[in-house]
Order: sequence, then structure tokens, then C-alpha cells
Amino acid sequence: MGQYSCKKATEMVEKRSITGLTISESLKLKLHLSICKACRAYQKQSELIDTFFENNDGQENDLKVIENNELKSFIIAKLKDQ
Amino acid sequence: MSEKNQNTNQQFTQWVDDYSDQLYSWAYHKTSSKEIAEDLVQETFLSAFKGIDNFKNESQPKTWLFRILNNKIIDHYRKAARKNEKLVDNEFLHTKKTDDLFEPDGHWKMTGFNAGWEEEEHLLDNHEFNVVLSNCIHKLPEKWRAAIESKYQSVKKAEEICKELNITSSNYWQIIHRAKLQLKICIEKNWMT
Repeated sequence: MGQYSCKKATEMVEKRSITGLTISESLKLKLHLSICKACRAYQKQSELIDTFFENNDGQENDLKVIENNELKSFIIAKLKDQ
Repeated sequence: MSEKNQNTNQQFTQWVDDYSDQLYSWAYHKTSSKEIAEDLVQETFLSAFKGIDNFKNESQPKTWLFRILNNKIIDHYRKAARKNEKLVDNEFLHTKKTDDLFEPDGHWKMTGFNAGWEEEEHLLDNHEFNVVLSNCIHKLPEKWRAAIESKYQSVKKAEEICKELNITSSNYWQIIHRAKLQLKICIEKNWMT
């Protein structure tokens, strides 16, 4: 089988993080990344997006808080029925 | 009401006062719907109330409540992804857009995008970038969003996620691939290096 295209290589970057790659797939990916700057950039972009999601939980604290007093009353009343 | 429930109720009234607005703001941010966000927050407090024995002071109440809420948000995405038949057309359009990044032989198209934003330092500490990326995530097709959010926010294995979204395992990483390509297009359109 021939070398990876860029499209295939970027698919393999994602597959690697989800199911892992076979030895053959891994070697082909490494080869492509070693010679393709655009795909190395994609790999970095992909990892950046990953990190954003992993950090996402902390963002709860930065969010602007919307006041919703009716919701509070509703919930308190509902809990009293429990 | 039993005495246990009375004490729990007092505790919860305090927690609703303290955390409901924050939980609601987060749920609204994630779902863009007042009704859905209110439902999710209500369900969160109800689940917490019923499962109060699981709390046992092991973490901050706020952390615990947010964890429950985040799981309910994920479930919401998954149900929406499974339910909506119109998604087939919607996904097709988005897939065309991401396929369009490549030439027929699989090489990147030289469209002048890819401005090098991945090289910027401390990008994830940049509030404006986070806003851009959040908005881009909101624009993903429901199923793609469900797939990509599930990957990070759940301890469920890939097989379970696949089952719930009704996709095969190879579909799963293909969907993540397309989602990331779409995010890349969106970021490069909206973010100036």
C-alpha cells in the first residue's frame, strides 16, 4: 500500500487518539508527518482543540452569570414535593 | 416529610440559592435554549436530592452539582443527535465543506487558510480565542458535537458512545475528524493571528 495522502494522514491523527493505530498505520503516519508541514500544523491544531475540551470544565467559573429567580423558586417548590 | 428529607431540603434550598444561577448560565451557554437549560438545572437538583447519600462531603457541592449537570447536558446532546432525522441532510452539507479542504488526490488545497494560529503562545488562555472556539463548536451538527463532547467529558468507553449515537467505531473517529476540520475552518475564518 502506498503512502498516506494529507486527507488520510489527518484521519489517522484522530484514529490514533481514539482506537490507536496498528504498527503499519503508525509508521505510515509518522513518515507522512515528517515530510508534510501542513499536516504537522493540523496535528497541533487538533491537539489544541483537544486541550480546549479537556479544560472546558474550568470555564464554568469564567462565565457571566445570568440571574433566574423564577427558576430558583420553581426548583425549591419542586424539591419540597419530594 | 421525613426528618431526613427535611434536613436535606434545608440544605438544598441553600444550594439552589447559591448555585442555581451559575448552573443555569452554564446550561444556557451549552444549549442556547432557556427552556432546555431550565429543565436541565431542575433535573440536576432533583437527581442530586435523590442521590444525596452519594455526596458524603467528598467534594465541594458546586463541583458535584456541575458534574451532574454536565452529564445531563451530554445526555441531551445524544438524545438530540439520535432523534433528528433531518441531520442526514445537514451532515451531508457539512461533510461536503470539510471534504472540500482537500484535492481529489488527498492533498491540502492551497487556499491560503491555515494562518499559523496553532503556533501562538498561550492561545487557550486568550479569552477572545475561547469565545471564537466556543461559537465554532456551537455551529457543529448536533451528532458531531455529541461525538466530540462525549470523548472528553465522559468516562464511558468508545463502544458505549458509538452505541448511543448509533454509529460504528470507524464512523466515530471519522466524525471527530470532520468535526475538527470544521472547527479549523471556522477558527481560521474568525481568528486573526
